[in-house]
Amino acid sequence: MSSQAEEQVVVFQLNDQTYGIDIVSVREIIRMEEITQIPGAPEFVEGIIKLRGGVIPVIDLNKRFGLASSERTGQSRIVIVQVNDVTFGMIVDSVQEVLRIPTSNIEPPPSMVGRVDAAYLRGVAMLEDERLVILLDHTKILYDSEQEQLQEVEMELNQ
Amino acid sequence: MFSDIEIGVFLDELEEKLQVINDNLLVLENEPDNQDVLNEIFRAAHTIKGSSGVMGYEKMASLTHNIENLFDKIRQGELSVTTDMINILFEALDALNLLKKEVTGESVDIDVTDILNKISGYMGGGNPADELKQPKTEQDTKKETAAATEAVADMPAEHQWETLDDNVMDVIREAEVRGYQAFQIAITLDEGTQMKSVRAFLIFETLQQLGDVIKSTPPADKLQEGEFDFTFEVVMLTQEDQDQLENTILSIAEVHDIECRLIPTLQTAEGQTKSIKETKVQSAESEKKAPAPAKEQQQQQTVKTAKTVRVDVQKLDNLMNLVGELVIDRTRLNRFTEIFEEKYQSDELAESLNEIANHLGQVTGDLQEEIMKARMLPIAQIFNRFPRMVRDTAQKLGREIDFVVEGKETELDRNVIEVIGDPLIHLIRNGIDHGIEDPDERERLGKPRAGKLHLKASYHESHIVITISDDGKGIDVDKLRRKAVETGMYDQEGVNRLTEREALDLIFKAGFSTAGSVSDLSGRGVGMDVVRTAIEQINGMVELDTKLGEGTTFTIRLPLTLAIIRSLMVTLGNQVYAFPLSNVSETLRIKQEEIRNVGSDEVIVVRDRILPLLRLAERFGIGSSESEDLYVVVIASAEKRVAVVVDKLLGEQEIVIKSLGEYLGDVNGLSGATILGDGRVALIIDSRDLIKVAGINEEA
Repeated sequence: MSSQAEEQVVVFQLNDQTYGIDIVSVREIIRMEEITQIPGAPEFVEGIIKLRGGVIPVIDLNKRFGLASSERTGQSRIVIVQVNDVTFGMIVDSVQEVLRIPTSNIEPPPSMVGRVDAAYLRGVAMLEDERLVILLDHTKILYDSEQEQLQEVEMELNQ
Repeated sequence: MFSDIEIGVFLDELEEKLQVINDNLLVLENEPDNQDVLNEIFRAAHTIKGSSGVMGYEKMASLTHNIENLFDKIRQGELSVTTDMINILFEALDALNLLKKEVTGESVDIDVTDILNKISGYMGGGNPADELKQPKTEQDTKKETAAATEAVADMPAEHQWETLDDNVMDVIREAEVRGYQAFQIAITLDEGTQMKSVRAFLIFETLQQLGDVIKSTPPADKLQEGEFDFTFEVVMLTQEDQDQLENTILSIAEVHDIECRLIPTLQTAEGQTKSIKETKVQSAESEKKAPAPAKEQQQQQTVKTAKTVRVDVQKLDNLMNLVGELVIDRTRLNRFTEIFEEKYQSDELAESLNEIANHLGQVTGDLQEEIMKARMLPIAQIFNRFPRMVRDTAQKLGREIDFVVEGKETELDRNVIEVIGDPLIHLIRNGIDHGIEDPDERERLGKPRAGKLHLKASYHESHIVITISDDGKGIDVDKLRRKAVETGMYDQEGVNRLTEREALDLIFKAGFSTAGSVSDLSGRGVGMDVVRTAIEQINGMVELDTKLGEGTTFTIRLPLTLAIIRSLMVTLGNQVYAFPLSNVSETLRIKQEEIRNVGSDEVIVVRDRILPLLRLAERFGIGSSESEDLYVVVIASAEKRVAVVVDKLLGEQEIVIKSLGEYLGDVNGLSGATILGDGRVALIIDSRDLIKVAGINEEA
């Protein structure tokens, strides 16, 4: 009935924060499985897993955001995301639901949200029950943003 | 325009016919009077001319037209074949190969007039351009010479027949050989016909049942849109007689009148009986091989596309991946079956489950094999290029070569085929240039004037073995040694230490050439190292054997497919790693105290050879469970060897290579991953990369 524009997002939990990612980019959600580590890969890349007869990289989203890794539990899931031609998995603490969020409820992100750099974010949505959902920009998750490189340089300078 | 499918069919045919011309020209050079060969070339040129003309590739059509004419003269005995002529024909063939690109949409800018002039020069002059446009034989002159009349006359009583162009006449002549007759039919519909286009369509359908409609005026699409007066004209090939044809058409509603005539050609003019006789003789060989080009476009196309379907290799890869998943699930199912059996013993259900699991396993295995096969192509794809190349090279260098090719039908993965072409070309050229002596020299040595060059492909276990052998002068190992000292690659002492085989291996080193003079074709010192690198890149191996004065044999071993390799499986930490067997020279078990230090590097001594030691766990930054006894995998690439320490050896296994993907890209020391039978992912070691790194340590 609503002619109002809305987005469907997959909502998941990571380090006590609620995140959402555009459902169009999510291919599937699987249980945790054994991850084969890749020596020499970037630190936030946990390793590879098999998927549909091929292998895909899996990243630890916490490490990606520069946060402490959270413990793997029975609730942990791997969200398989496809961005352009690259398919990868990201480890999250738990997956909760799929939500429809009216576009009007989405605000642009402040520069830091819960210690996560805004460069990875698309916005913040306020739900009806007043929960906040941080919307990830799935296109930015894998590749280093310019911002991050700048930060690294800054850190090096400070050391 | 023509559809992709039509163009695909045309390209297939074109490639086949060009190959026929190529092969037969080579034969013709040795047997200039062989009528069969002359006919083959004539027919192939004729076919290309017909179809390229219909498709609108004029340069191609005019070239093949001239070739056809030339061979017609040769067949009649008016001309005889000379080496010079064959050279020009090869030039023409090259031009045709270039023009082939035009079909695939690339723009080709080549001038064929020069070649045309050369060819027509043999036919007693005359401007080839004129000749092109002119009807070539008398039967064409019988055609209506009336100026092209676009609009078909309203009055069918004195129907003015459409002029048939060369291409159509060619198709007709060819069809006639196969027992068809060509009719030109003018059909007039009732003036009051309501739905002209539908009626025209129905008539077309009916005609197609009687034979093949090869041309219509106005064109078929115009007819279907109803863009014609009440008369249209078709040319069709049929085995029915004229009465039958007329009656059938007249039986269609709203057909007012038809006029039908047999299109005269040389054969029909000479008499029906003769042409039918000829048909019997020729059809046996030409029916399958050379279908009439226009016919192919109309109907045969459906037949042909039904037999072969072009599939994107990516699709096959995807299929392969999916089958891989199936295989893993099968393994898991087997495990469950075992648990079931233990639990319920010989329960009927458990037995059924077992049966199902077994059958599924079999089917999955077969499926995997079939998909593998679908990726395979006969090596003829590249071998067919070689006779021509050998001929050209030999001619340029003044050699006489007896080139023997064996095992063309051997199939291997298309990716391997793509990579192996250049190395083979190089080895063959080398064989002619450096291996085989010039004819006079050979005579002096008591060898036949023509040197023998033997190219052979065969299966050997799970490999393809390609050998290239010549009976030339062989490689002088001492000369290699001297050269190695001259170029500063080794000192005298180092060279003396090299075994015969190691010395021979020198030719695969970069910048190493023993050719006295640098020729246009080989001897620039680049090449053999490129050959080895290219072959190793696809997990192949190349070796050579030589006997001074008797010849040289290169042996190339290639995996059947790039996707599957035999590997040595090892563990490191809690993960499994795979070493491709093509780079593994041996495995050893050593004690800690056998490790010696050279500076900061560790080495071990194996049979008097010092090998740098690489602790893989350290290299990869993983914890390992090293104990007193160490397991060592000795990997080798070119002449370098490195001993790699791993935790445990698991054994050999065939693995399917998966790319790590675009995102991870090239990870140092790894070339990919594979999925194990139990669903775990194992990493594949890039031996060459490890060796490269260890090599740097050596120098430091």
